[in-house]
Amino acid sequence: MSDRRVIENALGESALTSTGWKGFDYDPVAMMPDTRVIKVGGQSIMDRGRAALFPILDELVAVKDKYKLLLCCGGGTRARHIYAMASDLELPTGVLAALGGYVPRQNARMLQMLLAKHGGLFIMHDDFEKLPLYFRLGCIPIMTGMPPFGYWEKPTEGGRIPQHRTDAGVFLTAEVLGVKRALFIKDEDGLFTDDPKKNPGATHIPRIGASELRARNLDDMVLERVVIEYLGRARFCHELQIVNGLKRGMVTRALEGEDVGTIIYKD
Amino acid sequence: MSKLVTDDGRTHIQSRLMRESLVDRKVIARTDSEREFEIMPNVVLVGIGGQSIFDRGKGALLPLVEEISALRGKHRLMLGVGGGTRVRHTVSIALDLGVPTGGVAQLVGAMEEANAVFLNALLAKHRSIVMQREHFWELPLYIENGMLPIVISIPPYHFWEPPPEDGPLPAHGSDFGLFILAEVLGMSRVVFVKDEDGLYTKDPKQHADAKLIKRTTLSALLADMPEELILDRQLFKAWQAARHVKRVHIVNGLKRGELTRALAGEDAGTIIEREDAT
Repeated sequence: MSDRRVIENALGESALTSTGWKGFDYDPVAMMPDTRVIKVGGQSIMDRGRAALFPILDELVAVKDKYKLLLCCGGGTRARHIYAMASDLELPTGVLAALGGYVPRQNARMLQMLLAKHGGLFIMHDDFEKLPLYFRLGCIPIMTGMPPFGYWEKPTEGGRIPQHRTDAGVFLTAEVLGVKRALFIKDEDGLFTDDPKKNPGATHIPRIGASELRARNLDDMVLERVVIEYLGRARFCHELQIVNGLKRGMVTRALEGEDVGTIIYKD
Repeated sequence: MSKLVTDDGRTHIQSRLMRESLVDRKVIARTDSEREFEIMPNVVLVGIGGQSIFDRGKGALLPLVEEISALRGKHRLMLGVGGGTRVRHTVSIALDLGVPTGGVAQLVGAMEEANAVFLNALLAKHRSIVMQREHFWELPLYIENGMLPIVISIPPYHFWEPPPEDGPLPAHGSDFGLFILAEVLGMSRVVFVKDEDGLYTKDPKQHADAKLIKRTTLSALLADMPEELILDRQLFKAWQAARHVKRVHIVNGLKRGELTRALAGEDAGTIIEREDAT
């Protein structure tokens, strides 16, 4: 029988079925660590329309030549409508993920139209390698927050809503670019002990470690659960900052490095 | 007609998930149900090993191609291929260069696509076609016309590959990608064609005392996972929450007729089943 024709290399005989690799010093390169990866919330910001979005855009435009801004969009109520319809039809999680992807793309396109005169560019996942060009040109690239998993999203235990949605995509974007802190613009001051929209007695948590947050095992959370899990093993993105975009100046202060809102950190 | 609700400054569309946090466990549980719709239930996915089959060239590949061409028409097949030694070379160079894990994941798919093109060249006269990434809504067209669609096996996680639990290698490889594809399309069986008789207690190429596991269940396997695996670890993790794939079959593609027997439902190679399979 014919032999395997193997190119000699450190992984030559490896089955590649596990992620560990012993006896090797891995020193990953941060690709574009000075990028500011920013999520614009779907339900929290976009679905509020002009009143919420325009002041945030004013803040972003004011600092666009100071920072490399990469905007990622959330989905919101139309994504919820899709997930509700699709789970009613008993469709698989991967189909929900693929369908849910349409909404944040629409939102990204809307942002592009609003920011076009300031260099707003709608980009797809496949344009990711052109980011240096966009920044060099002084543009503001805008993309979906959803990672490109689509139909390949893993089945969700005990439900159908995809585990990797736009928070996950934003975190993973920051991680691969080698960015230390990802910024999430929402309509609350960050993390609370309970949902502040439903429980007015909920208290604000300014700073919390990922493992402590996981240990609290909250029924609800401000960011997708996988993000908190991944944060614990991230190599670059070690902080997630959540700010209230409805309060004027918060986005600017966050971009200046101030610890406003909530910081969830790798501990 | 859907109603719009605007009482809290946000504009909502009325739905069961309106205003809800999609992170809330109770909300997620409300999207669950006993059944799940099967999109293409009668198709079997056959994954062909890269290093194990492809890299052996003509001697291994041509008899397998002949066997597959004889199976066409008898079964509704969808084929996938691994990338083999060039993937390992890519990964080892990229990691030495310090390419981040997501960057490595972005790179490896090219080697698998090359193998898909190789396979297509060999099977074209038996009606194979290399499918574009997400074009599987064309599948009914291919399947009902007795064609052999070849899919891209690596999942499109690309730059967005989640940070691995351990080490720098991307966790979501081609076995996982094919498995997820079968699952989302509602298939019940996946057959992996490798160069060993199936799953062993350890890598049989490196340990003479490795024992073949002829038949096992997912939970037995998860409880006592071999250190060296023939399929992606992530496949077994994802299978726990899966709803459609009942059986994963691993057969030796170097032995003529093993794939045919597996597709006929016979005991060839290793059979792994979900215990709640019906």
